Amino acid sequence: MAITRDAIAPELTATIAREEARQRSFGRQLRRYGPIVIGALMALAMIVVAAAAPLLAPLSPSAQFGDAVLKGPGSIARHVLGTDEFGRDLLSRVIWGARVSLEVGLISVVFGFVIGVPLGILAGVQRGRTETAIMRCADMLMAFPTLLLALIIVAALGGSLVNEMLAIGVALMPNFVRLARSLALTIREQDYILAARALGGGQLRVMARHVFPNALYALVVVATLYIATAIRTEAGLSFLGLGVPPPTPTWGNILSEGRQYIKCCPWLTTFSGLAIMLAVLAFNLVGDALRDLLDPRLRGE
Amino acid sequence: MVQYLLRRLLVAVPMLLGAMTLVFFAMRVLPGDPCVAMMGDQATSEALSDCTKNLGLNRPLAVQYADYLWRSARFDFGKSFRHGYPVSEYIGRMFPYTLVLVLASAVVAAVVGIPIGILSALKRRNPLIDYPLRIFALLGLSMPVFWLGILLLIAFSLRFDLFPLIGGGDLDGVMAMIRSGEAFSQPADFLRAVGDVLHHLVLPAFALGFTLAATVSRLSRSAMLEVISQDYIRTARAKGHDERAVVYKHALRNMMVPLLTIIGLFVAIALTGTVLTETVFTRPGLGKMLVDAITARDYPLAQGAITVFTMIIIAVNVVVDMLYAVVDPRITYR
Repeated sequence: MAITRDAIAPELTATIAREEARQRSFGRQLRRYGPIVIGALMALAMIVVAAAAPLLAPLSPSAQFGDAVLKGPGSIARHVLGTDEFGRDLLSRVIWGARVSLEVGLISVVFGFVIGVPLGILAGVQRGRTETAIMRCADMLMAFPTLLLALIIVAALGGSLVNEMLAIGVALMPNFVRLARSLALTIREQDYILAARALGGGQLRVMARHVFPNALYALVVVATLYIATAIRTEAGLSFLGLGVPPPTPTWGNILSEGRQYIKCCPWLTTFSGLAIMLAVLAFNLVGDALRDLLDPRLRGE
Repeated sequence: MVQYLLRRLLVAVPMLLGAMTLVFFAMRVLPGDPCVAMMGDQATSEALSDCTKNLGLNRPLAVQYADYLWRSARFDFGKSFRHGYPVSEYIGRMFPYTLVLVLASAVVAAVVGIPIGILSALKRRNPLIDYPLRIFALLGLSMPVFWLGILLLIAFSLRFDLFPLIGGGDLDGVMAMIRSGEAFSQPADFLRAVGDVLHHLVLPAFALGFTLAATVSRLSRSAMLEVISQDYIRTARAKGHDERAVVYKHALRNMMVPLLTIIGLFVAIALTGTVLTETVFTRPGLGKMLVDAITARDYPLAQGAITVFTMIIIAVNVVVDMLYAVVDPRITYR
């Protein structure tokens, strides 16, 4: 007769079963996957709104309605969120504003990623002087907080969509350099890298075909968090009047223009700011949750 | 130690130089003439060329650059194009405003953020505590400081009229009273002036402090998590100490090192935060000065502001590095 665990310790089996049930329980699943689902849905909603802005916006974001200047939400049926000082429809402007935020958010992160990651991998794999040179430069840029660096660059180039992407991309780049390097440092010690080299793989091949794919997952997770940073930075620049210039609606410049009217018309600043917060929150949620799933030790960092 | 300090300072020099070079050329490649910005589109061409000459902008770029570096080395950032008086004087006047804002928001951020971070690390298994705290941290992290500022203004300045809408109070006057000794001869006036400054400070400090509290809580949470998973904590528990003693005597003391890192990061983030905070509260200070200078193409003022920002950040980092050795004797510097 085979000795089963039940025979020895029935209560242990019961405990294990209870634990497994707890793991499977709805509450547990919700705690684990809730944030990422909510964040992903919010981010997806934002992408849909930005992509379909011409279809979703009830009115043109630049159309001025002389009969509806600074009207509150709901006071005129045509303007659900009210109007600004030129009689432009706030809802339509906020919807179109999603475009700028998302474009800058995504493209500047891609830009920082595309420049930063190869440099970081090069530094981590090559070591020596190359590493010193790259890391010194990255450290120098890191000394500047993102917004400050982006502010200097955008001040130099002038406020426009492309310049903003460039400025935020450059400001984010050193983060990618650092992370890619630290990942490359671990990966280069792995056996499969040794194998790749033994098979005659050159430095470039090792970096592109072996180090990069193995670092990609972690890099993409962190990139999600930087989208949130980029969107917040964009909003900040726009708010300071250094971003995409009006009349193109951005959440930052709607908020900045609405600031003069907070006495009479707080809805202008309330809704544009709410949009910024929800967008940043969405990408923070997704990035956070992804990182928790990837590496529980990094939780809350 | 001294040698280490010297080396750190030597490393800081190229950093500062890089930053200043970046700023110098950044300010000059941009389209837009400071003279046009000052005098308007209607200015005659003679007036404009006079202005260009007076500001030294007709010299070769290399000469301007060398001149700028040489002067900056002596803390002479030139004269503001717009206001006419020396940049260093202007910065000296604005600095106290920014300093009190950073300090006050640091207090708010520390009082709110550190306990929340520690609590959420210790109670991470209890969803009823951990979850709300994490949501708070996420909200703070996602809330733009300028939006929070506006919401606070709408609620507490406009609706309830509890706090002023703009300005920073007469900090200049307070400083002058301290210098002249009036602070002691007429304490009533002095206290009234201080009270006014604090009154102006409440909303900005809360707005900036709250957004920073989120960052602080996350950093202290991960610092606490790191410490709590160390072997000596397990040893302390195994020896039968109660949880309170473990936390206060063993964990918190060892958190000093990560906490210092937080402070270093904090200053950099807070300084950037002042740019937005001062703008939204129309409060004088280095951050608002920088934005105004960039908008007005006031090169010397913008350069001076950014140089000072960079110096502060670098200096704080060096000091934090030094303090590591003080709080943790195991760290020595070669």
